[in-house]
Amino acid sequence: MHAESFPGQAMMHTDALVERAREGDKQAQGRLVQLWYKRIYNYGYKFFFDHDAATEVAQKTFIAMCRYIGTLQDAGRFKSWLYTIAVNTCREELRRQSGRQSVSLDSMMMNLPDDSPRWEGSDHRYDNPERRFQQQELADLLQACLKELSAEQREVVIMKEYEGFKFREIAEALNVSENTVKSRLYYGLDALKKILAKRNITQETISYES
Amino acid sequence: MNHKPDEALLIAYLYGELQGDEKTAVEQYLREHPDVYQRLQEMNFVRESLQRIADKEVIAPPIVLEENRSVTFWNTGYMRMITGIAASLALLMLVARFTGLTIQAGNGTMTIGFASSFTVPDTKQKAAAALTSEEVQQMINQSMAQNNALLQVNWQDSQQQLDASIRNNLAEFSDARMRSLTKQVSNASEEQIRAFAMTLQAENARMIKDYLALNANDQRAYMEELLVDFARYLEQQHRSDLQMLQARLTNLEEENDEFRYETGQILASIINTVEPISTDIKN
Repeated sequence: MHAESFPGQAMMHTDALVERAREGDKQAQGRLVQLWYKRIYNYGYKFFFDHDAATEVAQKTFIAMCRYIGTLQDAGRFKSWLYTIAVNTCREELRRQSGRQSVSLDSMMMNLPDDSPRWEGSDHRYDNPERRFQQQELADLLQACLKELSAEQREVVIMKEYEGFKFREIAEALNVSENTVKSRLYYGLDALKKILAKRNITQETISYES
Repeated sequence: MNHKPDEALLIAYLYGELQGDEKTAVEQYLREHPDVYQRLQEMNFVRESLQRIADKEVIAPPIVLEENRSVTFWNTGYMRMITGIAASLALLMLVARFTGLTIQAGNGTMTIGFASSFTVPDTKQKAAAALTSEEVQQMINQSMAQNNALLQVNWQDSQQQLDASIRNNLAEFSDARMRSLTKQVSNASEEQIRAFAMTLQAENARMIKDYLALNANDQRAYMEELLVDFARYLEQQHRSDLQMLQARLTNLEEENDEFRYETGQILASIINTVEPISTDIKN
């Protein structure tokens, strides 16, 4: 699920693919899209908690990647570079959404009363449907909590918790200092703690669900 | 640890990215400050909770990019826009040339037409030649005064003619003529009244005669109807009496037959009873 579980062989080939893609190899560019699409989509999904927005962000990010990969100086910085594009695309989408004032279906689902059932996603397979439902419901609830963070804190939390970034890599991707990243993460986790408490998500609740 | 570790140091410790002296110092500080340790524990719980959000499985869609083309000066957006406007104007001029479109502007007017040339009437000169409002008002007043005078003359003529006619008529009607006319009218009225009264009497007599005749006919018809009805009633009554008598006779006959039958049976039983006794007596 995280970058650690990302296919190792593919990661090994990323540098070689980036080198070829920089030289204009369309096949290598396509392979890079295949390798990184899921990560960028999931970054967008966790940022917006919305499938359409995540798809939009992923597509725009990879279009920009294919168009400007020739300008990438250091192939070793590809990951940070790609996430810089993704972060900027997310910010742009966020501005567009705030201008449009639209309400996504997911957010409407999350505004339902606590006792109303929510439809589960169709991507996970568990043996027990009830357990699967509960876990999906908890995941959606946590996702909604994550969305309550400010965009800056959300970026850092997602990169650190889900994308397996080091503090230095996040600082590179966001073009800020490492201390700023750590500070944003600290206050982001602190804010999330309060949001979880407000929604009655405690250690007991989590233990019961699992 | 003498100094308080900042958020950056604490978060690095939380993610296990501190080593050596820094790590030891933070651990020492946390032992001395359980409230900060508790806060870090809570943050760790938040991290554990966040791990419950799983990744979505997606398939990368094909991303098609157009080939990079070298952008020449003539192919830039501005040049394309300017060229487009120029081409539109050229086309417009060409169409105007063939259709004979003429556009004229001047003297505060603009005219568009398909004629080769045409003149615009000079409205300014006309405006200069036009009368002022005071002159127009004066002309209207003059015209009204003339009209009024004409009407006055016509009215006086009519009035004089009417007076003359009335005077003539009155002169013709003298007293003697009036008297003879009155007498004629009164004579005529007397004869007419008499004739009218006679006509009325004749009509009344005829009406009374008709009424009596009609009345007699009605009474006769009514009486006939009454007699017929009475005769029917009597006949009906007679028929029902006969039916009743017939029914009673039938009843009597039936009762009689029944009585005869019963008597026969009684007699038979008596005979049956008496016959063995008489036989016994004979024996």
